[in-house]
Amino acid sequence: MAALADDKKPHLEEARPITIDVGDGAAIPSKKDVGLFTAWRVAFFGAIAIIVYLVVFKPDPYLDIIKFVPDGILVTFQVTVLSILLALVIGLFTGLGRISKNPLINGISSLYVEVIRGIPLLVQLFYIYFALGRIVQMPPLPSAVLAMGICYGAYMGEIFRAGIQSIPKGQTEAARSLGMTHAQSMYHVILPQAFRTILPPVGNEFVALLKDSSLVSILAVADLLRRGREFAAESFAYFETYTVVALVYLIITLFLSKLISIMEERIGAE
Amino acid sequence: MQNNTRRKMVEMKGVVKFFGRLKALDNVSLDVYDGEKVVIIGPSGSGKSTLLRSVNRLEEINAGTIIVDGHEISDPKTNINKVREEVGMVFQQFNVFPHKTVLENLTLAQRVVRKRSKSDAEKIAKDLLAKVGILEKAGEYPTKLSGGQQQRVAIARALAMQPKLMLFDEPTSALDPEMIGEVLDVMVKLAKEGMTMIVVTHEMGFAREVSDRVIFMDEGKILEEGSPEHFFKNPSHERARQFMRQIL
Repeated sequence: MAALADDKKPHLEEARPITIDVGDGAAIPSKKDVGLFTAWRVAFFGAIAIIVYLVVFKPDPYLDIIKFVPDGILVTFQVTVLSILLALVIGLFTGLGRISKNPLINGISSLYVEVIRGIPLLVQLFYIYFALGRIVQMPPLPSAVLAMGICYGAYMGEIFRAGIQSIPKGQTEAARSLGMTHAQSMYHVILPQAFRTILPPVGNEFVALLKDSSLVSILAVADLLRRGREFAAESFAYFETYTVVALVYLIITLFLSKLISIMEERIGAE
Repeated sequence: MQNNTRRKMVEMKGVVKFFGRLKALDNVSLDVYDGEKVVIIGPSGSGKSTLLRSVNRLEEINAGTIIVDGHEISDPKTNINKVREEVGMVFQQFNVFPHKTVLENLTLAQRVVRKRSKSDAEKIAKDLLAKVGILEKAGEYPTKLSGGQQQRVAIARALAMQPKLMLFDEPTSALDPEMIGEVLDVMVKLAKEGMTMIVVTHEMGFAREVSDRVIFMDEGKILEEGSPEHFFKNPSHERARQFMRQIL
């Protein structure tokens, strides 16, 4: 007689917690993972100590390098922040599209995700700047932001989709039962809750994007890596320059990972 | 109880619903009149929740017609949101909004759907919270509340829309025994005020106290209907007799 399990079906889904795990970027140092937490401290303070040591005891060429690269850090941040904002907007619509019941919208979003995830970021950068440049010539920075935003939008779309789907179906049903439209229940009920689940992986993507932004140096965008290359080309101090560039990237990504883990703890504590 | 001068709030004719190959509703017809309280009972998987959920189109039916408050909701052209404004629903799992305070749970749809001002919505909300006995929790988040309190918030949230019909889908099944009473009390109060109610429940005490009619479902069909007393004393159908023995 229990063949029709429909009475209980909607409730089973509510018990299933979903965590989104994106294995990209530097590991977020959670206090629970003692090994990683220690590793974070060693790496972060170690990197700072090495830079300070080198600048103080070997000012030639390290002091010159340290003076030359900060302009690049600003550009790196500029590219990263603009790209992530674009990726968030694209990701939201892609995520909504991927769960849409409309076959056309669903098809387009899925196709976008499949195509973009199947092409290396470096090739996408080349494509937008050089190949499409024959049709619409764009300056390097907008090209870079567009390419990175489109690429990361596809990954972000999957995070949004998983985040939205992690909210129990009963929430949508309750909202719709009160007379809310699909859009209203998304905006007022589902997305604010999904946001908490989405935030850590989005932070992780931010760190990953910051690292990948070094690829834009090939488009004549004067980011951290590009500034390093320029310095090295003039001074021939390749070893010294790239050591500093690597350490600066490491310090930035470790710092951001830490910020994300603090943010995550705050959300969890609420 | 069939009084033909009374208005029909819900009119279901020949309703069929499939889940894949399973026939969850098998040619079900049911009328519920304005002000009537109908209790639906039946074993797990008998289709009673599906029947209830099809009344506000949370389940789309495959055949038949359903008319709610004069609107044919089985017609895809009907604006279901307009109908749902008038039909409150209470779920087994409460489904309160965890990211909103108790008060905000009650005001959200009033503001967004009914377009009431903040002060109007809050006044209605506070009156209802007082009525269900949790006004002092207005500023809390629902996760801090017990199951019974959450369910009372959910009932008040549905009532805040001032619906014409209330649907209850096993409202006490997920509650600890000591909290069932406080939720049933609210429902009894509501019934005595004249609300039209369709309630899926196993609480026969509630059925006896307030319901006009009890409907017994099995395998997607309505097998028997009658007064609560009829079901207590002498259900005619063997399946109904068996079921009553199990739950009493």
